[in-house]
Amino acid sequence: MRKAKRSAKGSKGQMRVIEAIMASLIVISAITFLYIFAAAPSSHTYETGELEKIGHNVLHDIDEQRLLARYVYNSDWANFTAALIVSVPTDVYFNLTIYDINNNPINHPLIQYGSSQVFTTSKAVASVTYIVPGYQTNYNPRILVLQLVRG
Amino acid sequence: MKVFRERKGQFIVIAALLLSIMIVSVSMVIYGTVTYFRQERWEEYLTIVDSVKTGSFHLLEMSLSKYSQTQTLNQTILRDNLNQWVRDVRKAYPGFGVDLSYSLETGAHLAYGMTPNYNMGLNRTWDKNPSYSTANTTFSINIASVGLTGYNFSAHAFLKMNIADALWHVGQGQSGWVGVRVIIEAEGPTPVTNLRTANFVLFQVGGVNQTFTLYRYYESQGHPVKQNPTPPALNAFVYELRYSASSKPDFVNVIITVKDSRGVQVRGAVNNLAVIDY
Repeated sequence: MRKAKRSAKGSKGQMRVIEAIMASLIVISAITFLYIFAAAPSSHTYETGELEKIGHNVLHDIDEQRLLARYVYNSDWANFTAALIVSVPTDVYFNLTIYDINNNPINHPLIQYGSSQVFTTSKAVASVTYIVPGYQTNYNPRILVLQLVRG
Repeated sequence: MKVFRERKGQFIVIAALLLSIMIVSVSMVIYGTVTYFRQERWEEYLTIVDSVKTGSFHLLEMSLSKYSQTQTLNQTILRDNLNQWVRDVRKAYPGFGVDLSYSLETGAHLAYGMTPNYNMGLNRTWDKNPSYSTANTTFSINIASVGLTGYNFSAHAFLKMNIADALWHVGQGQSGWVGVRVIIEAEGPTPVTNLRTANFVLFQVGGVNQTFTLYRYYESQGHPVKQNPTPPALNAFVYELRYSASSKPDFVNVIITVKDSRGVQVRGAVNNLAVIDY
């Protein structure tokens, strides 16, 4: 009788251990599931967002100083490039193209900092579009497309 | 009793299962909330709004500049430019659904201490003292792709000239210099402090063009020669247009045209301006 009781208690104890193990496994598998599937978004999104912010701020600051239209409409490319170089962080490279309102590129020398290879090899290229309505009294819009990458 | 004890063990498994479901679902909700705001390209939309806003301000200044520089009043210049601007903004950001609309101010409104009577967003009140040129428009931006509607802002451009007084600087014998002092303000109102001689495109005294030397300073001392009554201090940034005269005139008739760095122009005139000893 005693033997039978002891063996019943023993098997109950074993069951508890098995249940505890099963419960642990369930919780662990839930956490593992989250760890595998809740991966952070790729850094590409964050990286371009940050570069876009830099690019826009740079163009906006130059525009606020009333220099942007002067550079663009007076074809002062050397000073424009210099202004951009000193305004962006040292590890950021850029390439600027200017279009008219019908998206025809305006003839201008390369407004670039960093080699072309940096732009082709980089995974995160940010692009900022900025519109300038004209200069002095003349309405003649220009679209500035500034591409940025981190070196 | 036995049955109850056996169910206790199952309860642990069921509790663990429920706990797991809760962990997974709560985490998913939090993850979705966090990543939505980070993955959405808010930065791009903000740069569009900012770029269009800055461009609209410049366009208003350009239009006022043209309006104030032409002899014959072109009252539709702002409306024409804005119509083109609305079309071109749409073209510049294809795929975003950018829709810019505007409303031109009309009628008399208080602006920086003056009450300009706007006609299609523009007004120039010249040949008075003070004189001013001003433009006023309200804009609204919608970006359909992100569901942004009704982002409103108003843009003002303003240039005011006040011919404050005329001073007599004693020279040798009867001769000396007459200094006509003007105060120039832009929207805000903020004092305009960056003007040079070339910005004063016309300076006439008694209907005759005068060559002058430009002095600029902040006047807070008041008049050095105590008179009765003593003119009060201007407490403003002043431009003094000084020209030579063979003798001290009691009064002068002055016309001054000034053009600021934006190209906005204003012409002020005053008759019988008393020349006071300095």
